Amino acid sequence: MTAPIRELGFAEAIREALAIAMAEDERVFVMGEDVGVYGGAFQVTGDLVQRFGEDRVVDTPISELGGAGVAVGAALTGLKPVFELQFSDFSTLAMEQIVNQAAKLRYMLGGSVSVPLVVRMPTGSGLGGAAQHSQSLEAWFAHVPGLKVVEPTTPYDAKGLLLAAIDDPDPVIFFEHKLLYKTKGPVPEGRYVVPLDRAETRRAGRDLTIVAAGVMAQKALDAATILASEGIEAEVIDPRVLRPLDMATVARSVTRTSRLLIVYEGAKSFGIGAEIAAAIAEGEAFGHLDAPILRLGGAETPIPYSPALERAAVPQVEDIVAAARRLARGEA
Amino acid sequence: MAVEVILPRVDMDMETGKVSRWHAAEGEAVAKGQLLFEIETAKAAMDIEAPASGTLRGVAAREGDELPVGAIVGWICNDGEAPPARAAAAPVGSAVAAPAGPVKVLGDSTPTSLPAARGATATPKARRLAREAGLDVASLAGSGPQGRVQALDVERARGVGAAKSGAPRAHGEWLRRGAGPPFVFLHGFGAELGVWKPLVQRLDPSRGALALDMPGHGLSPPPPDDVTLDALVAAVEAALAAEGVARFHLVGHSLGGAVAAMLAARLGERVFSLTLVAPAGLGPEIDGAFMDGFLRATSVASLRPWLRRLARDPETLGAGLAEATLKRRAERGLGPGQARIAAALMPDGVQAIDVRPALAAFGGPARVVFGAEDAIIPPRHAVGLPGAVAVHVLAGVGHNPQLEARAEMARILSDQAAAGDARVR
Repeated sequence: MTAPIRELGFAEAIREALAIAMAEDERVFVMGEDVGVYGGAFQVTGDLVQRFGEDRVVDTPISELGGAGVAVGAALTGLKPVFELQFSDFSTLAMEQIVNQAAKLRYMLGGSVSVPLVVRMPTGSGLGGAAQHSQSLEAWFAHVPGLKVVEPTTPYDAKGLLLAAIDDPDPVIFFEHKLLYKTKGPVPEGRYVVPLDRAETRRAGRDLTIVAAGVMAQKALDAATILASEGIEAEVIDPRVLRPLDMATVARSVTRTSRLLIVYEGAKSFGIGAEIAAAIAEGEAFGHLDAPILRLGGAETPIPYSPALERAAVPQVEDIVAAARRLARGEA
Repeated sequence: MAVEVILPRVDMDMETGKVSRWHAAEGEAVAKGQLLFEIETAKAAMDIEAPASGTLRGVAAREGDELPVGAIVGWICNDGEAPPARAAAAPVGSAVAAPAGPVKVLGDSTPTSLPAARGATATPKARRLAREAGLDVASLAGSGPQGRVQALDVERARGVGAAKSGAPRAHGEWLRRGAGPPFVFLHGFGAELGVWKPLVQRLDPSRGALALDMPGHGLSPPPPDDVTLDALVAAVEAALAAEGVARFHLVGHSLGGAVAAMLAARLGERVFSLTLVAPAGLGPEIDGAFMDGFLRATSVASLRPWLRRLARDPETLGAGLAEATLKRRAERGLGPGQARIAAALMPDGVQAIDVRPALAAFGGPARVVFGAEDAIIPPRHAVGLPGAVAVHVLAGVGHNPQLEARAEMARILSDQAAAGDARVR
């Protein structure tokens, strides 16, 4: 039996996942600033408050720390909260609850409790949000044992990964790139899950491997189309989940292509690119490398307000094309 | 404290310099900034000033000596001070007692010279491939940035090595340059690479097409006296290495089909797809009378009747084939080489070669194309091949499907290219 498939927006796919989880399991509820009548800062929760009521779509005061504390407490006592932050930048205020409490309680209490919490965070630049509303902080959370970190690229994955995150007994940080909310793609009706440990090869190619998540995966695919017209076939791997990272898929690809480019929006230094590059350099794929591993990351600067500078501060399609070309031609 | 006088680097690519003239002698007082000696490089002569004031001692270079950059040529000492022990102990106390050859100076006292690079840099993959091939990466010329040795360089070196070890290299011509893995075409007995031109016209214009002349054919060197199928394979492999073609789609006709099957089994995944057109090597029968008659013919009148057997409709072979064949044979003296190939591989009108095991060993997309009316090699040889090998038997077509059924062949090759590319991904 196959569920009918329609075109759905990225935000609608997330809302549909929330509605399915809430309809199936009364322990699941949504909370966050303006998630109720206003429908969420990016209109993701939409009409959920009309469908499920204010007890299950809870507007919180403007205190990210307070909200996170409530969410962790609710999870500890048997509920399954999905906590929305308006911008991932504001996670700084909730860090104590996420990093010191949610991530660690299962371990500190000998496995006697778990924290089945999902924190949804709009991430990234591109909408003129400037320095405090445009960051890409995935690497911060991916550094913390006890957390899972998810970053979907397609509406299909957004729905399936969010349902898997809600099912997961442990805390999951769910990054949603703002530029993806308006994108559309095929999404089956009803419940399905995308596993939280598997990368997706979005395009096959043999000349180099590009690893990129979220909106950067989209840009990498656009770049791969341009590269193909020049006779360079790039394989594009979308990790989908940054922790735990599916390095086996990346390593298999690099073994074949011998060249690796990692693209991510967060600041280049100490980022996910370093993690992936190091894992390849440490592993069996090393002996198959025929060029230095390249990273394309964000500039070492807060995201500027000026649209031109904002664009220049993160990797763009033409940057990916240029870097891939150098790699594939043996010029890197 | 004594100050050393060294042979300085005066231009970027200078490695050695000649002390062409001293302006001061051993034991003579010099002032800082005074001209001390003159050096000559490949490009220019230049005067060098004294780096300090004092007495010139321990002169270690005669006029005319050539020394490495950074070598110590003497010392400037204070009054009553001797040069450091090593310099003083050197056989050069004065120009009179100078040694016959240039003075060797240890590298650790050459502050201006950069530390020598420790061998060539090479990518991990290049190192692994070189190790597997028994090559020393340090001996290879690197095509990467700053001369870094890349996998391609090792592959080239392996190919060149094979060519040096005796196999003549087949002549090749790019019928078309293009992106991605090209087609490589191997013609049949008695033909030459031009036979592929009409078909290539019909192929995807973005893909490259390299056609090779088999040994003893076209512009290739003659085959060795003790010609074997492996010798033909080696000549093709050497040509591919020389052209820098590492990964490709392989197409072979008739005798070239047998060579292609052997090469594909040998190179494995580097051959993205394999298409054998009326191939030799799948069974014992072959038109021995054609082979004999073709080799023996000395005139258009005696050759043309045999050539007519090559196609169901000889018009498809093109006009003037007999004339062109005889002309090339005469100009290049191809007769004896082709006779050797025929005698070794098709003795007594029997195919003495068997490429079925090679075809079974090749794991990629493989197809065999026969014309149903092939008068040279019976199309029933395509029966009983490994299950993964697709077989086309084209109605109304003889021994040259690439000329007689160009549209069909173009479609088959297009499918093969797509299948091969997809599989490697």
